[in-house]
Order: sequence, then C-alpha cells, then structure tokens
Amino acid sequence: MINVKSTLTYSFFKLFFHCIKDFLITIGNIGKDFSRVLYYVVRLRINASATIEQSSRFAVDSLPITLTIVGMTSVIIAMQIAPELAKQGAEGYMGMMSALVMIRELSCIMSGFAIISMIGSSFASELASMAVGEQISAMHVLKVDPVEYLVVPRVLSGILTMPFVFIVSSLVGLVCTCLVSYMTAGLSPLNFMTSLWQGLYLRDILIAMLKASFFGGTIALISCSCGYSTRGGAKEVGESTTKAVVWSFVAIAVWDYIFAVLFYL
Amino acid sequence: MSISVRNLTKTFNDKKVLDNISFSVENGHTLGVVGFSGSGKSTLLKIISGLLYSDSGTIITENNSDIAMTFQYSALFDFLDVYHNIAFPLLERREFRGKYSKKEIKNIVKEKLALVGLEGIEEKFPSELSGGMQKRVGFARAIVTNPNIILYDEPTAGLDPVSSTLIENYIVRLKNELNAACIVVTHQMSTITRACDDVILLYEGKIVYRGTVNDFVSANTPYTKQFIEANIDGPMEIKSLT
Ligand SMILES: Nc1ncnc2c1ncn2[C@@H]1O[C@H](COP(=O)(O)OP(=O)(O)O)[C@@H](O)[C@H]1O
Ligand SMILES: [Mg+2]
Repeated sequence: MINVKSTLTYSFFKLFFHCIKDFLITIGNIGKDFSRVLYYVVRLRINASATIEQSSRFAVDSLPITLTIVGMTSVIIAMQIAPELAKQGAEGYMGMMSALVMIRELSCIMSGFAIISMIGSSFASELASMAVGEQISAMHVLKVDPVEYLVVPRVLSGILTMPFVFIVSSLVGLVCTCLVSYMTAGLSPLNFMTSLWQGLYLRDILIAMLKASFFGGTIALISCSCGYSTRGGAKEVGESTTKAVVWSFVAIAVWDYIFAVLFYL
Repeated sequence: MSISVRNLTKTFNDKKVLDNISFSVENGHTLGVVGFSGSGKSTLLKIISGLLYSDSGTIITENNSDIAMTFQYSALFDFLDVYHNIAFPLLERREFRGKYSKKEIKNIVKEKLALVGLEGIEEKFPSELSGGMQKRVGFARAIVTNPNIILYDEPTAGLDPVSSTLIENYIVRLKNELNAACIVVTHQMSTITRACDDVILLYEGKIVYRGTVNDFVSANTPYTKQFIEANIDGPMEIKSLT
C-alpha cells in the first residue's frame, strides 16, 4: 500500500491549496478593511492630526530614498540613451523622450517602489506588532476603533501626498536627465528644455497624479491590512511585512497596467 | 446584578477551552478566577470584554455599562508616552472627544497615576519602564473612564509584594468607590485573599470549585487543596508538562 499523504503529488496539491486559501484570505482582509475605511471617510470621521502626522511621514520622511532611486534611474537611462541618440543625430528628441518616459511611467512606478520599501513595510510591521502585542485589542476595549484611529489616517495620507511625491521626483528626475545628457552627449540644457516642452502634456501629468494617488492609497491600504490582521508572534510579524511588500509591488504593477490600458490604448 | 455569564462555551481547534461556564457578579463585588496556565482564564475575560466571540452562551450586563480590562502583558501603546496612554480614551473615544479641557485631562491623569503610585512619569515611554511599572500604567489607563465593570487579567503577576499589595488595596477601593463589578484573574493567593469576595476555580474548561474566599481557603476538596498547596499530585494535571 502506498501512503497517499507521503506522495509528492499530495504535498504539491496541499501546498497549492494552502496558497490559494492564503490568497483568498488576504484579498478578503484587504476588501474588508477597504470597506471600513470607506465607511469612515464617507462619514467624514477623520482624525485630522493623525492624518497630518502620517502624511508628513509618508511624503517627507521617504523623500530622500524616493529621490535617490528616481534620480539614479534617470541618470542611468540618460547615460545609455543620450550618446546613442547623439550618434544618430537625434539628440534634439532627448528632452521630449525623457519627459514622456518620466511623467507617464518612470517617476510614478519608481517612487511607488521606494515608498513600498520604506513606508509600506514600516506600516505593516508597526501594525503587526501592535496586533500581536494586544495593543489593538486594548483599543477595542477602550472603545476606540483601531481602523478609524490607525488605518484611515494612513490610507488618506497615501492618497493625498503621493501625487506630490510624484511631482517632486519627476522634477528631480528630469533635472538629472538634463545634466547627464549634457555631460555624456554634450546636449545643451537649452536644447534639452526646448524639446522637453514637446513631450510634456497637461493630460499626462493629471493622469499620472491620479495614478500616483491610487498607488499611494493602495500601498497604505495593503500594508495596513496585512499588518492589522496578524496573529501570533515575531515570526508572523516578519511574514506579514513580507506579504505587504510583495502584494503592494504586484498591486502597483496591476494598477499601472490598468491605467495604461484605460488612458493610452 | 451587574454581570451575568450563562452557559458560555468556547472551542479552539477542537479543544474545549470553556465548557458551559455560568456565574454572576453583583455590583460592589469581586470575583476571583483561578486556575492553571492554559485553563482559559484570559479567554473568558476576552469573551466578556467583546474581543472574542463565544461559540454559545450569553453575557448579560446592565444597559450603559462600561467594561474596562487590564491585559496580562499590559498592552500599552508603545508609540505614545505614559500621559497619552492614560489619556487615550479621554482624547480618542468618540463620546469623550472635546468633553474635557486639556487641564482637566492633565489632572485626571495625574490623579490616576498617583493612585497606582507612579507620580511624575508622564513623559516616559513604555519601553523605558519596568514590567511592573508598565502594568500599573495599564491599570491607570483602564480605570481612567471610571468604568462599572472591571476585568483584571493577572493584575499582580510580576510585581514585587509591596506593589502587589498596593494594587490589591486599590482593586478593593475602586470597587467600593465606583460600586463596580470586578473579575480578577490571578495565580497569587495574596490577591485572592485581599482583593476578592468570591472565587471560582477553572480546570479543563469547567468550574471545579466555587465559593467565598474564606471557604476557598479552608475548603478541603481535592481541587482547592491541590491548588492552594501547589501539589503536583492531585485531580488536576497540567497536560502540557506531561
Ligand atoms: N487565539 C487562539 N487560538 C487558538 N488557541 C488559543 C487561542 N487563544 C488561546 N488559546 C488556547 O486556549 C487555552 C487557554 O488560553 P488562555 O485563556 O490564554 O489561558 P490562561 O489565561 O488561563 O493561561 C490555551 O490552551 C491556549 O493554547
Ligand atoms: Mg492568561
């Protein structure tokens, strides 16, 4: 007789169904938390001082990392592209191309990644350790709704401040591109600027700001939700943080795709 | 009667942690709940305070009763200092928001801190306090709204004997002042004899003894004898150790 439970097929399917169950539970938690956040926001039950505090954390504290990542990416891209364009005699298009790439995709997604690794992970681990340390239970007993006090301000801070992060990092990214184009391909900043305007559309900027807002809200919601639903101990806190980061990355990629299809297809 | 628990049952992963538990506590009385670790004492308090659902059974309280609870491991908010920890319900609970001025809150916090013997530590953070001090701060936070049902989860565990006595006296004093119904979960005999009026002993999810404190101390049932004398041999065995 073969022992079914010791076969590879059995353990494969067990793992598979475990993953599916985990996936559905996480989706359910995020959906539940989203509806609760919506409930408070619609009723304007918003803790203003906590929202301001979280906003400063979300946008300002993360800025050095965000700008470094966006700046470095634009430096590298400019370094690769500008000399090639110059070789083909197309350096006049450098500014336009940079603006298109930066505004439509690069700035949003790169600052999103920076925010996930810096803010999303800290939201998740913070709420997770509060959950396992019974601090969230203590809030329930003290009749203060932890969603209203902890989650709503964080999600709002993401929605409200991410567009500004996007604007600042786009600006820095374009300045970096401009400088590097000058240094590697001798493209004069004036030349760069002249062509820049041709790639800069108000529509693109508004869409990107909206997208940034969705990114910020999604990152904060997923991170808070993964942290909030943690049970157990130190190991589970770590797992929740990982889960928050992974889910945020995927969610952002999905949003980016949806926005591209909706507005540019 | 202030709080009444009827036929409470709770199962965790096929393990019956509470099995058809019933008791009631009058206003101005304190019930001690004793039992080994893992006998479901914390679970019982969590169900009463609404943190957990029971599988079946009911909990009857008076209208407008305000339930407070202190946690086994304090559960202080580590991102807030002691002042804001204690003032938390006054500042953040919807019904209290804006009801008290800054000065009033300051005075209330000061008064509650003095009651637990910890004056002048308002600006410290929980991580800067010893375990016993954290416990006392958690205690002050729980009673800042003058609740009428108070649940204490091991209020004196990990405290030195003098602080324990302080807390025990305070449990009695508060019960009298607020005419509150209290439930004290504890391992410590001193807390039972000083702070409680009645006792129930839990084992395997069931109440194996109930009576007044005086009866409990002098009772000669196998269960109480084993618990009071801390014998390893007896009708109760700690499963996880064997
Ligand atoms: N959330 C939970 N999930 C599964 N089992 C639990 C949970 N909480 C408590 N238990 C189990 O219930 C039993 C009683 O726990 P608890 O009420 O904390 O005991 P006590 O406070 O008396 O030491 C223990 O065996 C514990 O393992
Ligand atoms: Mg316990």
